[in-house]
Amino acid sequence: MTVRGPNAWLVAAFSAVVGAAIGGGQAALEAAFRPWRIGDFGPASFAATSTDAPVAEVPETRHEFGTIGSGAERDHEFVIRNAGRVPLVLTRGATSCSCTVSDFESSEGGDELARKEVPPGGSTRVRLKWRGKGAGGPFRQQATVFTNDPRRPEIVFVIEGAVVPTWKAVPDAISLPTIATGAGAEASVKLYTYGSQPPEVEELTVADTQTSQLFTLASDPLPDAEVTAETGATGGLGIRVRLAPGLPIGPVRQSIKVRLRVPEEISLEIPVQGTVSGALALAGGAWDSSRQALLLGTVSGRVGSRTEVFLTAKGPHASSVRPIVREVVPDSLAVEIGEGRSVGDKGMIRFPLSISIRPGSPPANHRCSDQGPAGRIVLETGHPETPDFSIPVCVVIGP
Amino acid sequence: MKTVCVVTAWLGAVIVLAPVHLARAARPDRGADVAAATVETFTQRNGGVFAEWPDPRAVIVITGELDGYIEPCGCTGKENQKGGLSRRQNFLRALTSAGWPVVAVDLGDQVRRFGRQSEVKFQSIADGLRTMGYSGVGLGPNDLRLPAEELVAAVAPVGDQPTPFLSANVGLLGLDANITPRFRVVDVGGLRIGITAVLGSRQAAEITNDAVEVQPAAAALESVAAELRKASCSHQILLSWADPEESKTLAAKFPQFDIVATAGGADEPPAALPVLANGRARIVELGHKGMFAVAIGLFADPQAPIRSQRVPLDARWGESPDMIRLLATYQRQLESLGLAGLGIVPIRHPSGRRFAGSAACADCHQGAYDVWAASGHAKALTTLEEQAPRRDGDPECLSCHVVGWAPQRYEPFEGGFASMATTPHLAHQGCENCHGPAAAHAAVERGDVRASTTERDRLRQELVLSLDTPEGKQKAVSNCLECHDLDNSPKFDFDEYWPQVEHSETKTAAAAR
Repeated sequence: MTVRGPNAWLVAAFSAVVGAAIGGGQAALEAAFRPWRIGDFGPASFAATSTDAPVAEVPETRHEFGTIGSGAERDHEFVIRNAGRVPLVLTRGATSCSCTVSDFESSEGGDELARKEVPPGGSTRVRLKWRGKGAGGPFRQQATVFTNDPRRPEIVFVIEGAVVPTWKAVPDAISLPTIATGAGAEASVKLYTYGSQPPEVEELTVADTQTSQLFTLASDPLPDAEVTAETGATGGLGIRVRLAPGLPIGPVRQSIKVRLRVPEEISLEIPVQGTVSGALALAGGAWDSSRQALLLGTVSGRVGSRTEVFLTAKGPHASSVRPIVREVVPDSLAVEIGEGRSVGDKGMIRFPLSISIRPGSPPANHRCSDQGPAGRIVLETGHPETPDFSIPVCVVIGP
Repeated sequence: MKTVCVVTAWLGAVIVLAPVHLARAARPDRGADVAAATVETFTQRNGGVFAEWPDPRAVIVITGELDGYIEPCGCTGKENQKGGLSRRQNFLRALTSAGWPVVAVDLGDQVRRFGRQSEVKFQSIADGLRTMGYSGVGLGPNDLRLPAEELVAAVAPVGDQPTPFLSANVGLLGLDANITPRFRVVDVGGLRIGITAVLGSRQAAEITNDAVEVQPAAAALESVAAELRKASCSHQILLSWADPEESKTLAAKFPQFDIVATAGGADEPPAALPVLANGRARIVELGHKGMFAVAIGLFADPQAPIRSQRVPLDARWGESPDMIRLLATYQRQLESLGLAGLGIVPIRHPSGRRFAGSAACADCHQGAYDVWAASGHAKALTTLEEQAPRRDGDPECLSCHVVGWAPQRYEPFEGGFASMATTPHLAHQGCENCHGPAAAHAAVERGDVRASTTERDRLRQELVLSLDTPEGKQKAVSNCLECHDLDNSPKFDFDEYWPQVEHSETKTAAAAR
């Protein structure tokens, strides 16, 4: 099927000619070349009808469905009237991907080109249909109808609303981004439900039994004000997760299994995401976490270079960290360590590290390969469990 | 866009963007070298763009909420989906090729998920935004779930290029670490444009990343707004990663921002920008998954100084070689890291059982197997291998193209597909993804394992998926929707699709007769 919309410049030119013909002169010409904007044309814009052009009148172009249950279908009819003296030709144009426009097929008064004609004084309807899909949240869908009314070459109909899911977790996963080894963590999630009764918890457990002994879960009903604030929600739970120290370094792999009655049974899983990392870490543009190396590139020994990174200390012994430089390879590396400063309220401390290749440095090859082993910066940290912190350095110092 | 001058200001920066004077091209409604038929198809499908615009003094292009969609998903054909960095760059190029000076900004939330793949993806997208010449990029709540070490590495300045990332109220490793500036001023097309970004209060309360420091948005904006006022900007942009109500409150409190991009809107942005009650701020929604960009034209015409255009990033823009290369590098990184390097460890299947592979089913269910073998499901992994760059190392793709993965978690079950080298029998979208792991059933039926008749029948029954009851059909539909979701299969309708792969025993037996 091919549907062709009117060429806007032809429409504008046509409108200019019509405007001039009816005596509008310069004003009509300017109006004709003023860009068409959706929403420029309220019903008042079409009060003065004249000439032989059709006139499309649309009482409304936007409809708010309110809330729709997940999977439920709603539709709305928009009306287009022809207030002109010649037939109004409507052509179906673009629609949003998930929205259905009916009433343009041949069985519904349209022709094989999804086009239909409205006689003078007549009206037709455009039906937009939407099925609530996805995990919930606001939606907006639209459909365009092209017309042969030169002053309104296209009409955009919009339907809006919100899909109410069966349940919704906010946030959708429990994040424990970086947990220092030897430290615990806490986080919470809000679980909203949309049944006819507040949720009754039948099961609240962690899915992976290998580490379940480290997780403690608790839940409480959310305050009414929080439930009311969530569109369409009829109940809610606050679920708290406490992770005891003991997980190995690496990604946290766990999820919370919840079984509820609202009164229908709902079973769901909320992922718990995070990473257990070492107590000390580097952060900065030159730090490559995949290679676990500081990449300084190729540096002119005559000019030198300077790079800023941060050393971060986390976990129960962060406050005991007092880094000093114990060793550098090559000798031309210079490291200045700035003062530690607390970040956030969980005890993280950051130290700025300024790493330089001194001007006048001799050539060196530490490209981190067989041809040139990595250089290094070794820090004495003061941390009782990680007393030394070695930073591999990839650098080639040229002339 | 080309940066010709960078002047550091207090916690901010002034960048002069020189307008690119290229040969005047056609109106920007397509990418270079895109077939006219393609342009026409997608113009009809998703609407035309810029058709009535005179040449603007400058265009602000706003994107955001990419949600990890570095490229559109597309089992039903990528050309049918909107979004992706590749089309976005070609769209920006089309504007500059038309001689329109462009300032590109992004609201934030480049990624949606957590883990090593999202870290690699965030870095790739940050590289892409730099390549595209973005002048301002905010930080969304999902971005801020990533470990600080990764975030800092990705957003840090590269050489002499300042970072495009900025925030008035979010500080990586603390607000005073100044890893990102708090605002930026850009001179373009003779206009001076101020840009800043904030994270909303609800989103800030959900941040659990101890390396991220967040100040209340309104308090942070007090000082940044004062600095921007001093800069004599003709337009000021606030990238507000907040709920729409909070964004509107901030816009009303700081009326100097005439363009306020907000998060939390509907899946598609509106066709026209609503103007706040104070008559100044235009509130910009961006939709989800980076499917649209919003272009705001700034004109010399005092009667119509601002026009806006919602731009669907569909196939009319074509593909950008820069971004295809970036995507290839990203895929290579995933491949070289492998599942272990990405921190992906098999999870236990809820049944506790293992997988046999589709070929094992053929021993007894030849009719059903033949239907499957003739279907697209039996070529699912091949479609990933044949793409350029190939996607069979990408867990987010792999999860729906092999046997034994949890599709929406992008993780393998224990004994699920690992690689073509080690588990070739589990390639493609096979029988057990719907019916359940069948290794025990197959072993009993072959006689490899002895079992009582009761146990044998129980194993058989566990794998039956009947459409004869509402519960059975619901279970089957739910299985399908795990992969045929809104992203990958927006037109999916079980009743319409099922006949194409129907393989019930009665039907296949009848066909055999």
